[in-house]
Amino acid sequence: MLDLVASNTTVKGITLRLPPVLPSARAITLGVAVTLFLLLCVLPIIYMLGVSFVGRDGSFSVGNYRQLLIDARQRELLLTSTLLGAGTALLATIIGAPLGVLLARTRLPLKRMLRIALVIPLVVPPYVSALAWILMTGSTGFIARWFGSDLLSAWTYSLTGAILVLGTSFFPLSMLATEAAARRVNGRLEEAGLLIASPGRVLWRITLPLIAPTVAAAALIIFVLALAEFGVPGLLRVRVFTTEVFTAFSALYDFGAATALAVPLLAVALIVSIIAKLIIGERLLVARRNLHPGLVLRLGRWRAVVIGFLAIILAASVVLPLSTLAIEAGQLERIIFALGTSGDAIFNSLYLSTIGATLTCALAVLLGYGRARSGARLRGLVDLLLIVIFAVPSTVVGVGLIGLWNRPGLVGAIYTSQTIIVVGYLARFVPVAALMLAASVRQIPVSVEEAAEVAGASWWRTLTRIVLPQMRTGLAAAWVVSFIFCFGELGATLLVAPPGESTLPVRVYTIIANTPPAEVAALALLQVGIILIPLALLGFFSHGERGAR
Amino acid sequence: MNKQDLAPHVRRVIARQPLVLCALGLVLAGATATCHRQQSATDIPPNQASNEVTIYVSTDRVFSEPILRAYEQKSGVRVNAVYDTEETKSTGLANKLLAEKNRPQADVFWSNEPVRTLVLKKNGVLASYDSPNAEGIPGIFRDPENYWTGFSARSRVIAYNTNLVKPEDAPKSIFDLADPKWKGQVAIADPRFGSTSFHVAALYAELGDERADDYFRRLKANDVKIVPGNSVVRDMVARGEVKLGLTDTDDVNVALEAKQPVAMVFPDHDGIGVPVMPNMVSMIANAPHPEAGKRLIDYLLSPEVERMLAQSEAVQIPLHSGVEGPKNIPALRSIKPMTLDYSKAADRLEDVSRRLQPILGL
Repeated sequence: MLDLVASNTTVKGITLRLPPVLPSARAITLGVAVTLFLLLCVLPIIYMLGVSFVGRDGSFSVGNYRQLLIDARQRELLLTSTLLGAGTALLATIIGAPLGVLLARTRLPLKRMLRIALVIPLVVPPYVSALAWILMTGSTGFIARWFGSDLLSAWTYSLTGAILVLGTSFFPLSMLATEAAARRVNGRLEEAGLLIASPGRVLWRITLPLIAPTVAAAALIIFVLALAEFGVPGLLRVRVFTTEVFTAFSALYDFGAATALAVPLLAVALIVSIIAKLIIGERLLVARRNLHPGLVLRLGRWRAVVIGFLAIILAASVVLPLSTLAIEAGQLERIIFALGTSGDAIFNSLYLSTIGATLTCALAVLLGYGRARSGARLRGLVDLLLIVIFAVPSTVVGVGLIGLWNRPGLVGAIYTSQTIIVVGYLARFVPVAALMLAASVRQIPVSVEEAAEVAGASWWRTLTRIVLPQMRTGLAAAWVVSFIFCFGELGATLLVAPPGESTLPVRVYTIIANTPPAEVAALALLQVGIILIPLALLGFFSHGERGAR
Repeated sequence: MNKQDLAPHVRRVIARQPLVLCALGLVLAGATATCHRQQSATDIPPNQASNEVTIYVSTDRVFSEPILRAYEQKSGVRVNAVYDTEETKSTGLANKLLAEKNRPQADVFWSNEPVRTLVLKKNGVLASYDSPNAEGIPGIFRDPENYWTGFSARSRVIAYNTNLVKPEDAPKSIFDLADPKWKGQVAIADPRFGSTSFHVAALYAELGDERADDYFRRLKANDVKIVPGNSVVRDMVARGEVKLGLTDTDDVNVALEAKQPVAMVFPDHDGIGVPVMPNMVSMIANAPHPEAGKRLIDYLLSPEVERMLAQSEAVQIPLHSGVEGPKNIPALRSIKPMTLDYSKAADRLEDVSRRLQPILGL
């Protein structure tokens, strides 16, 4: 209903101010955003799908799809992948969502530092976390040596082990999304609830239902990330479907077959998204600008439990893996040496990721806005499209980008410059940022835009002065997540990067093979340290927190 | 709450921040495009003597970069390099070269193993070039049609943990790895990738399908551990998680340099021999700087480069006779290389990968 009113008002606004033949500023801006999205994110995938329908003799063929999923082996791998994704999403949400609520709704000591510490697992490459866990719990790991017997290795090298490693790597995504959503919940609703109900009941019946769609969106993103992961399962000897796609690329060099093999993964992502949508729906009430502190949970006797929970999470996801790596790395000199020889790569990574994250959020905020303000049916389709695009393996995106951008003229000039790396970031991460930001836009009532419209403000002015400031927390969270994703991007960057020094992950990756484990550990620690510096600065100097919370 | 106390102009700036950031981002992106634009390869007409050359390198960067820098110093030609690693499973330069086939950006491809070069040859990515410096490299390491030339080689080896296995007990043949004595104590890298894929394809070409299938079935029954890469095999042997592993000379050398309890055996000296894997260098078809590319290939095939690669931690075995070999590795004449038709082995790659999937439960 609200959406209907909004679009009517807009139409009236246009007829009042502009000749009807000219499209509105809103239509132009959103049109440009959608066009960019189609060009950057969708076209490479369509290109690759096209390739997958070309037979060996160059004519149309469905040969690449005919063999799909007919043998039991592939079906079993797909099931393992799905279980890995679902298990990881569940574990990450069980850990991350309560943390998000705690950060948004309780008075905790050292909250800013705590938040930064809890984001660390996300910036450690999952492959490195897996390595750290093997060093701890493998058959010759620290634990086996201390206890003199091999207690945990069977458990480490299993699907459960892979879920635990990935779950403890990805939970900060759920935490950040939950916190941003919980901060946006209208305090008045909760305060009204508190008049007649206990804080716990208010939390369960008002706050949580309001943030559920965001928590579910984060869980879906985590599901897709775990589905796409093959480094961790490989190391922990779990066979997953994703390896099939990469086998087709780097053992068989068959682009068409590789793309066709990615389709079952996309189908799983699609089916899980639809199920999630059916269960959660869009139980979203419009929230007002949040001047009310709303629900503040007093921990009371739960304080010890909460602190214990935090200590366990921090120990398992940050302290243990990082100190294992530090012990393995041994001397500080190694890290300093690694730092000294990686200056250009560090610089490239920092500035390319900054540009990448900023442009990703700029484009995603417009897409998220368009998605949130469109009709319910279209909205559902857009969500599914975004999640499926995000699930496309990075190599498929990389090869698609080469096919599209390596041509004469201006486009080729972009391909042969570092700009193509940023294009790769956008192609991979705009969909996920748009999903996160759409949730934030949905929490801003259409009525405030209508009020601005009535008062004579242009749409652009309304967007920049009313909508964006209100979604500040969500925007900051999306920027941080995009930055971390861009900084860690490897699959597409390896393929499209021009000659010359590339990014830090590419550097680490290309020198990792012939390097003793100690130096790999040093490089991994370095990468974590570098990415934490901008995040820590952002955390300390941002105005994201309001005094009342 | 304190937000309310801010002066109105500060609020305005905060409100506009996202836009300012967008604008800044766009300006920066534009600046990057212009400043960092590599002189686009195709802007220069071919055949004109060029001051730069582009090479894609899959030999590990720590070893290849110093050699390319030395060439820059010597020739005054700028070398633009893209590096990669053999362990790459997600992607790889071969995929980049295949995808760029219609508009090549590279002049030269330097691969650290034969497989990818042979795949690229089959797909028409390479051009023929007979370098004068290929003289002196044994014929089995050179393509009869000159699409590639081999130099500095590595070998497949059995690595063992010296704390757990006495040298006299260490297996002398890869067929011993299927002996129940070593049940659960052997690691190999995923045979669909990298040098292990070459090794298994060579075994199928040498033994025939039936015997090779049988060997891998017995390995599987012996509970062989299949891990992502050769460096993981080495680390597992070094930590004692397994007693034995099949890996490459250069990987083992990393452990030797780090004083880890690892030693290696060149297997099957009295039998089928061991696969020796040269680096391979090739010209790219329709390369933007063909002449500069040829000069770089000449340099890479010189005894000087073989000496540098032998003395570095890459411990590559020189193929030019008269070049001193690396200290931890026996010379080429003292090991028995498998007599291999490289293109025959390469033809088996795809089919062997598919064949092994059910046998090894991949």
